[in-house]
Amino acid sequence: MNESLKRGLRLGLIFGIVFIFFMLIGFTNVAATMIGDILGNVDQASVNPQLPVLNLITFTGLMGFFTGIAAYKKDANPSWVQVLIVGLIAGLAAALLVVGFILLIGSLNAQGVDFRTYLPNLGANEIQYLIFYTTPLAAAQRYILFIILFSIIGSLIVKLFSPGSPVNIALNSLKKNTINKLDVETLKSALKNRFVLIGLLVVVAVLMYFLPFVWGSYWNYIMGTVAIYILLGLGLNIIVGYSGQLVLGYVAFFAIGAYTFALLTAPQPHAIEMNLWLAMLIAVLVSTIAGLLIGLPILNLRGDYLAIVTLGFGEIVRILIRSDLLTALTNGPKGVTNVGQPFWRGQLFTDTNYMHLLMLLVLAGLFVAKRLKDSRTGRAWISIREDQTVAQATGVNTFRYKILALLLGAAFAGLAGALFASRNQFTGPEDFTLMVSVNVLCVVIVGGMGSLPGVVLGAFVLKGLPELLRELSDYRLFAFGALLVVMMIVRPNGLWPVSRPKFIKAPPEDCQDEPVEVKV
Amino acid sequence: MTRTAIHIQNVTKRFGGLTAVDEVNLDISEHSISSIIGPNGAGKTTLFNCVTGFYAPEEGEIQFFDKPVQGLPTHKICDMGIARTYQNIRLFKEMTAVENILVGQHTRMHSMWVESVLHNPRYLKEESTAIAKAFELLEFVGLLDLADTPAFNLPYGAQRRLELARALASDPLVLMLDEPTAGMNPQETAEMMAFIKELRDSKNITIILIEHDMRVVMGVSEKIAVLDYGRKIAEGDPTEIQSNQRVIEAYLGPSMDGIINRKKRKKPDYA
Amino acid sequence: MIEKLKKTRFTPRLALRLVIAIALLVYLTWRVVQVTASEAVFGPDTWLRFLISGLVIGGMYALIAIGYTLVYGILFMINFAHGEVMMLGTFAGYFMLEAFSTIPGPGNQEVNFLNAQPIIALILTFIVGAGVAALVGYLLEKIAYRPLRGAPRLIPLISAIGASIFLQNAAQLLFGPQRRQYSNPDLLWRGTGWMIPVGDKTVMLTYTGVFSFVLSILLMIGLFVLVKKTKLGKSMRAVAENKQAAALMGIDVDSVISKTFLISGALAGAAGVMWGIHNGLFNHYVGFIPGIKAFTAAVLGGIGNIPGAMLGGMVLGLMESLGPALLGLDFQIKDVIAFTILILVLIFRPSGLLGEALTEEKI
Repeated sequence: MNESLKRGLRLGLIFGIVFIFFMLIGFTNVAATMIGDILGNVDQASVNPQLPVLNLITFTGLMGFFTGIAAYKKDANPSWVQVLIVGLIAGLAAALLVVGFILLIGSLNAQGVDFRTYLPNLGANEIQYLIFYTTPLAAAQRYILFIILFSIIGSLIVKLFSPGSPVNIALNSLKKNTINKLDVETLKSALKNRFVLIGLLVVVAVLMYFLPFVWGSYWNYIMGTVAIYILLGLGLNIIVGYSGQLVLGYVAFFAIGAYTFALLTAPQPHAIEMNLWLAMLIAVLVSTIAGLLIGLPILNLRGDYLAIVTLGFGEIVRILIRSDLLTALTNGPKGVTNVGQPFWRGQLFTDTNYMHLLMLLVLAGLFVAKRLKDSRTGRAWISIREDQTVAQATGVNTFRYKILALLLGAAFAGLAGALFASRNQFTGPEDFTLMVSVNVLCVVIVGGMGSLPGVVLGAFVLKGLPELLRELSDYRLFAFGALLVVMMIVRPNGLWPVSRPKFIKAPPEDCQDEPVEVKV
Repeated sequence: MTRTAIHIQNVTKRFGGLTAVDEVNLDISEHSISSIIGPNGAGKTTLFNCVTGFYAPEEGEIQFFDKPVQGLPTHKICDMGIARTYQNIRLFKEMTAVENILVGQHTRMHSMWVESVLHNPRYLKEESTAIAKAFELLEFVGLLDLADTPAFNLPYGAQRRLELARALASDPLVLMLDEPTAGMNPQETAEMMAFIKELRDSKNITIILIEHDMRVVMGVSEKIAVLDYGRKIAEGDPTEIQSNQRVIEAYLGPSMDGIINRKKRKKPDYA
Repeated sequence: MIEKLKKTRFTPRLALRLVIAIALLVYLTWRVVQVTASEAVFGPDTWLRFLISGLVIGGMYALIAIGYTLVYGILFMINFAHGEVMMLGTFAGYFMLEAFSTIPGPGNQEVNFLNAQPIIALILTFIVGAGVAALVGYLLEKIAYRPLRGAPRLIPLISAIGASIFLQNAAQLLFGPQRRQYSNPDLLWRGTGWMIPVGDKTVMLTYTGVFSFVLSILLMIGLFVLVKKTKLGKSMRAVAENKQAAALMGIDVDSVISKTFLISGALAGAAGVMWGIHNGLFNHYVGFIPGIKAFTAAVLGGIGNIPGAMLGGMVLGLMESLGPALLGLDFQIKDVIAFTILILVLIFRPSGLLGEALTEEKI
């Protein structure tokens, strides 16, 4: 019981600090607004000031709720009374911290202290909102009430659903009777059936063809970005996921591909304006060569060093692109406008065309990546990642394979870069900051290193999801960083971890010398 | 006429001030089973590492069937026909047993990455042959039912056997085993001894062991070399080694006479 | 030495490296000669100015670099978020100075505290700045690194990157993205200093510059004494050398690691406050580039080697300051110089200036 109490206390304190932090970064406002959206009272909020307060209180309640959930420790299997107490303690701890904070800023604000020079999110209005437009003391009471109440509720609810409780038992038998009845085996073998597969493929193909027409240019743009990041992710996956080389400057290849394409097809600064498909091919080639040039000298570096050096390369490329030194070549900070766009049936590519092209390329990329993964080359890469020294002693020419991974990864990035530049009709040095490298790295790692569905999932989560959560865009990077740390601690294998192939035993070709089965 | 599989001549390996291997001379005959023994820190694994190319010796030469191999990169040496296992098992943990063996065959396969993508007939044939061979090897070491298990999930004994299978996958001419029976109980040890003999008899491989278990050493070896403080202090067949005074001293410590004598002799060099 | 030279095998790769190295050296020397001899664009006064600013910033780099090297020596990981630790120190120092500049001084109501008692104010500011940074470093280790101690190298690295992004953006969200300016006490106002005559021109030796440099040196000496003479220093060295053995000797490894992060954070925090005092403007990005450059300095000096970090910091500061001028290049390229040095060092001499050759891997 002591353990549970300590845990409850600790978690309560943590949540209290988190809540205060949210207040300091203005997240409480945003969250309350989102709650208002869900509850449907946003429009009336300007008229009725109590409604935002309601939203904020709901948020407070939610925080309490999560505190209670976290405080509950399943394996200790506490009794109802114990759960109540733990929830209470956690809620109390959190509430006290929050209340202390509220009272502090509330009273200081009443005395006219202006926090805004230090903490822009604590202007007078914001503080008024945080104390529910009443007095600090009255607000404090409400905070205490709701946090503790919902914390207790949270703990109790978890207890309700945990093994051994009537609810849990009921759910389990329900599962047994319905879901498990669905014969998973027949489902699986159905999927292996030729016709079913082809049927599915047809459905998917049709969807992919028609969706871009249906969902409008906004979604085409978003999904297009996701597609580009899938391509980037596939490339980096080969470098980081398969061969285990931590490259932090991947954006360099992206930039080189984009700029090569742009400079070859735009009227300025060079007015080459060559055939677009040829330009795309050249962009891929140039990127690959860059991979070779960058990769050769640094191949022997150990993990952390490699990371920093490639990060340096990424930054060097960007700085050089925008420098005065190379402005004649790259147009400097102004970037390259009017980048070439391909034609389809006599007309310039529309966003639908781009979407289709990107879909096709993503499919091709996935195909290539999959084939590589389960081949001699793929196995060589993974052996290098697992234990480079032993891999080499087992006959793998690590140098050759590491370079190969870099070249292929660079090629993918070059292709993505060319498409990126073409679709945006513009490209500039600020498109290629370090954050892009980090984004792609997150796509690979958060999705699951070496896993192809992981890369797709990662791209959707890291590029698609933020679009859905537009209101939270200010907090995106912040959440990113936190997500990375949390993922590494909780689930380092990624959202969709890679799975090793299962082999079907091939019957022995001919039984020349029957190996003596010695049980060792 | 039995050729010399491994010829180690005057090999010295230093790490800063420490001389781990000190002017060692050793010849291993083809098709033989030899052991290298000695107290901890004698330089046995370092010598192994010199032969397999992990280290380049400061002095001396190592020849594999009359071809010099000292200083060559490890993958070339593996390609030439030397394979090894490791003291503290180094498998590719995330890969399944079959995949580990397939990597072992890497140097005997030739398909390029382009073929992997295209799945042309040569690639497909090579893969299926390799997979079949992997299963044969699994059967040989008795791991057939664990074929698709990731290596990190395998029990200790199975891991040792898998490492052995991986080493055999490249059809080596010389197999170097670093403490193959470490952590095994007497029954497993006896089985391993029989297995080693069987390996040599059926596949005609030359086998070199590093071992601490004297039953194994005396039981399977035709020749034994003893290292102490990096120097070879004795060489011979099991009977000779068992009665060699210097060897006994190296393991058990000096006798009274030995202590007195050593006070008069210069102490061996080590950092 | 000659023996070693005789033994080296001349592979094509080695030959290529030598060619590139020699070519680079020749090119660089040629440019330097060209610039110094012919053009004489910069008079001796400008060179002196470059030298001074190089030393000042070198001192700051050195302090941050020590932080990297301490952590690397003990955990073999690059603390990517170290630049952000410095940044938070800068912020903390800013708030302190701001507060001091608004509170009235004791006795005299006209003057604010900052100017009435500048020495005390500065001391407190540094203590708080270093303290906050130390705390951040401590929490960083506890939350983002400790749970990952046994994991393969890649994982803590990613966590460090995540922590770095998190801290940067947390600072932005908490304090806003706008740049702020440090309020120095009048005594130490930016841009004031001793005027030194050089030829017929004068060069200013800024008070803030001298202050930073002297403080850097003092802190470095202090750290050196800590590591070499105190029990904690011994424990740190022991843990860095062999964790298990240290634990068996009765050293609380976790505690030592925490303390290492505290110290490295404190140094970075002090550097951060110095940065603010000397440079004035800053925002949440202030730690990013100095962080990378300080890491370069640590690698240059030999990662894991404390005097190396100090030397590396100084050398990098000087190279960065004098480099563009010497080579006749644009000052935009300043950052590129740091990166290029890093890459060259890692390729040609990964052990750095003072480091030992990385021992070959134990099989």
